[in-house]
Amino acid sequence: MAVPAGLDWVLVIIGEIMIAVGVISDLIAAIGLLRFPNFYVRLHAATIGTIWGAFVPLIGAALVAAGADFLGRYRWFMAGGAVITAVLILILGPAGSHALARAAHRSKAAVVQPKVVDHLEEDSRAPSPKEEGGEESEAEVKEGGEP
Amino acid sequence: MRRAYKYAVLVAMIVSTLALALAVSAGGLGYALPFPAVRNLAYWYLRTTYNPFMPKFTASAPEAVTAIVWDYRGLDTLFETSVFFLAIIASMALMRGIEVKAPKSINLSKYGMSAIVKTVTKITVAIILAASASIALHGQLTPGGGFQGGATAAVAPLVIIVIFSLYFAVSSGIKKKSMLTLRTLGLLGIGVTSFAVIVAGLILGKAAYVFQNQPKEAAPIGFPSHILGVPMGGTLLFFNIFEFLAVAAGFTIVFLLLSVPEESVRKVLEGGEGHD
Repeated sequence: MAVPAGLDWVLVIIGEIMIAVGVISDLIAAIGLLRFPNFYVRLHAATIGTIWGAFVPLIGAALVAAGADFLGRYRWFMAGGAVITAVLILILGPAGSHALARAAHRSKAAVVQPKVVDHLEEDSRAPSPKEEGGEESEAEVKEGGEP
Repeated sequence: MRRAYKYAVLVAMIVSTLALALAVSAGGLGYALPFPAVRNLAYWYLRTTYNPFMPKFTASAPEAVTAIVWDYRGLDTLFETSVFFLAIIASMALMRGIEVKAPKSINLSKYGMSAIVKTVTKITVAIILAASASIALHGQLTPGGGFQGGATAAVAPLVIIVIFSLYFAVSSGIKKKSMLTLRTLGLLGIGVTSFAVIVAGLILGKAAYVFQNQPKEAAPIGFPSHILGVPMGGTLLFFNIFEFLAVAAGFTIVFLLLSVPEESVRKVLEGGEGHD
């Protein structure tokens, strides 16, 4: 499983570039989280922090570990761990931000400010005959959303 | 005023962090090394934990922490597990009469979060269970063990309760009674493992101790140290598996009891058995 000598450096340099991209994205995400005006736009900044600021540098760390010759065969353990963590973040980050945005929208805790179109609001305003069991959980969300 | 308070807190945090870093780097937490007598003890543990050349002293597990927890001070860990079990039993006694059950004929898909979150949760629950099993089963080889694995596994039912609803969890088999059975099974296994060698010694007519792992000088029988050529630490593997079951099931019972909605059990909570 030995990587050819020249390829080591290619992996390390690509990995370090990805980590640098992650650092810059985390900085941008932090600034955005502080400076953006309302919940949904701030959520956008936060998701930049999870994908560009966590997923990308973890893949970069996996590449650096794969190119680190001195680690011997342990580099594949480190690279594998980094890739698994990255994939977990890749599927969990969007699901978490989706759940946050959905809860905020349903509880009307945040105003949808730069709004072009809001189909979800139109759907919830229209009377739907199917709503039976979900009312209890909706009420709980409303209680939790109040400041 | 509020702004000044904010900045004061920020400055205080920075100053205390810097002061702590300075104090630690200047040796403020004491000497870098403990006393020589304590160092000898640590040296002894590290030397005997996995040492095939000293078969009368070794615990035959490369992971020293697990060897100390379940072999060198195994009785202490047994009492820790008993304390945890008593705490779970006490919480169940406090909430006795509360039945965690789903109402009949409900549409489970109406409850819980959206389909996206549910799909992601299905994937992650499988990963959580696999990771927790590996933490527990590799406890004698790598950092980890039964308690850590069990606590990790208990995240899976918690996530299911939050994202799929309590009713889904109960109707898919995460019930108070079945979890109590699993927990009792785990504790029974810990008891059987700790008495296995002495019972075998009584049958074979040889001397043995309670909580014995490897053969000792005057007690020549013990658990197998290797299975298929992999060091298994004798009793440590079994203790880890049973502790894993006991801890995961115990935490799940508490999560189930705490997530019962108060309205549905108000009668039980107010003690209205005789007068209404």
